[in-house]
Amino acid sequence: MGAGDLAQYVATGLLVGGVYALMSIGLALIFGVMRVVNFAQGDFMMLGMYVTYFLAVGAGVDPLLGALVTIPPFFLLGVLVHRVLLARVTGGGDPGRQHDAQLIVTLGLSLVITNATTMILTPTPRGIPTAYATQAFALGPVLLNQARSYAFLMALVLAAAVYVFLTRTDVGKALRAAADDPEAAAYQGIDVRAMHALAFGAGIALVAAAGGLLATYYPIEPTVAGNFIVLMFVAVVLGGLGSIPGAFVGGLLIGLVQSLTLLVLPFQLQNTGVFIAFLLVLYLRPQGLFGRRLRTV
Amino acid sequence: MKLLAIVLAVVVAAPMVLVPVAARAAEDVKIALVAPLSGRWARQGQLKKMGAEMAIAEINAQGGIKALGGARLVLREADAGDSVEKAVSAAQRALSREKISAGIGAWLSSFTLGVTEVAERLEIPWFTLSYADSITERGFKYTFQTSPVSGVQAEQALDLVVDLARRNKQTLKKAAIVGDNTAATVFFFKPLREKLLKAKGIEIVVDEVWTPPLADATAIVQKIRSAQPDIVFYGATNFPDSIQVLQKVKEFGVKVPIQGVGAWLVTPEYVKTVGKELLDNIMTVTAAHPLKGQEAFVKRFTERTGEPFMTQDPLMSYAHVWIIKEAIEMAKSADPKAIRDAVAKLDLTSGPAAAALAPGRIKYDERGRRVGAAPIIVQWQNGEPFTVVPVEYATRKPIWHGGK
Repeated sequence: MGAGDLAQYVATGLLVGGVYALMSIGLALIFGVMRVVNFAQGDFMMLGMYVTYFLAVGAGVDPLLGALVTIPPFFLLGVLVHRVLLARVTGGGDPGRQHDAQLIVTLGLSLVITNATTMILTPTPRGIPTAYATQAFALGPVLLNQARSYAFLMALVLAAAVYVFLTRTDVGKALRAAADDPEAAAYQGIDVRAMHALAFGAGIALVAAAGGLLATYYPIEPTVAGNFIVLMFVAVVLGGLGSIPGAFVGGLLIGLVQSLTLLVLPFQLQNTGVFIAFLLVLYLRPQGLFGRRLRTV
Repeated sequence: MKLLAIVLAVVVAAPMVLVPVAARAAEDVKIALVAPLSGRWARQGQLKKMGAEMAIAEINAQGGIKALGGARLVLREADAGDSVEKAVSAAQRALSREKISAGIGAWLSSFTLGVTEVAERLEIPWFTLSYADSITERGFKYTFQTSPVSGVQAEQALDLVVDLARRNKQTLKKAAIVGDNTAATVFFFKPLREKLLKAKGIEIVVDEVWTPPLADATAIVQKIRSAQPDIVFYGATNFPDSIQVLQKVKEFGVKVPIQGVGAWLVTPEYVKTVGKELLDNIMTVTAAHPLKGQEAFVKRFTERTGEPFMTQDPLMSYAHVWIIKEAIEMAKSADPKAIRDAVAKLDLTSGPAAAALAPGRIKYDERGRRVGAAPIIVQWQNGEPFTVVPVEYATRKPIWHGGK
């Protein structure tokens, strides 16, 4: 194992982790603001992949651009789903009972989306054949897959945009206030319900965009969410429940650990590495990497 | 009042007595298809259904079951979902709700193991394409396994590949084993790893097995690139995993013959996802694939379904329906026990079922395994998979990949 090989493992891990990171920040945003564990998050990602696919095949839109195009419609879809379904089980009422209702709503939503997609679009896997999926940038001895590199860069840009939005704009600050203490925020004149709609819409839009980026190199099928949803949850908890930078770092870390695990463990145990790292972090820092002591896991 | 009651009773009871007699002349014969129609294997279930429906349409168009006065065949499908529990309960529901004469399914070996237990208990003959050896090692009387079992496939496929290499003036010295740890792949790789390759003097230089889904294929393909094997035995049954490996093979410019183990490698979606150039010359071992002389039959299938070509899954369920039809004709009864006994005695060498499967004979031994069932090697050529080995059934000549 030379330095070149090690560099290749690190680079591969970071590239894989970049898209995990983007997938996870949407989930973290929704959890952070609404305290809702959205089990349907992966299914919205799958829908984002399909929209990107149809844009590419039907209208010749490059999937990297298609991924960005998914953001506005999925934001609206998220707001709509919030208004029709989630608003009924969030914001007020007995938190314990609401929590159960939220789980049932999001799990049910996940089942409905997966099966409706299977019925309407058939279970046949589809893919967008792109030249960059099978080409690499050579960085000395290290090969960087082009599709994954583009996806990584766009994930970075989108995550940075979310961060700037949350920390530098009034709406972003209101959103964080609503997350920190909904009651106090309401006394300050912040419409907490609108903030929830905004967070859910943005969370869905982000994961749809992540799906679009993933579609540049990964096949699309109605059950594709199952390959990622557990890792998304691990990233969010690893980073500190509800923390956006935490989820981003958590996603990157998962990619890195998956890749580096192969240096010491056989392939079959690749995800064992991830869960060992996960348990270690929870043991040493129960609130997650970026979490605050307020809420422990 | 009493008279009214009697009249009413007669009016109500009459249809119950009369209709079955009237309908018996051509009562429908029901065949169950238990296959995944939702979840991650739904596509395979859908393909199986296409083949079964085509056979049923043909049989009914030709006047149905002659021995039963032209009775029509009907398909009762049940969704095996994505777990053994779901498959078993689907089979239980489908087989106990109404009278089923015979059944087909359930694609995945682990599903089939569960579903055939239900069929055995209810004494309904069951036909499967699943590969696992254990399916017909339990002494069941009602299970019929049409594919060559995994153990046989590994041995015969290796012979076929070594022979193919020799005819192309290549000797295989180094092999890579790369695949996931799902049942069919594990059963195929085990004998290769433990004895078969060594017996041929072939050294294993890469042996990588993963648990699906695969996060990234870089490390695997890197190992193949540096070890430079003469052949890669390849078992990535999860479609996204397989696509990632093939994309990486192209990205790293690895030139090596790839020998897949299973029909999953020759589905139409491969062409649409990675393009035909990447697939060219890749081979795979399967239990059934269209053979020489079946061109018109395949054309009927593609026109009917819109699929670009036909593969193992529809082909097998097509053959299974025809086998059931022949057994019913022989038994002159739609009773499952009579059909089972007829299947045990069946020896077909002509007709659609025999023509669909190499070596052209449908006969099951006392364990329920098809006599003479042998694997077929299929190769991608210009975006379509063709049978290349055995030579007598081949629709194309094999091309040895790369050639050093």
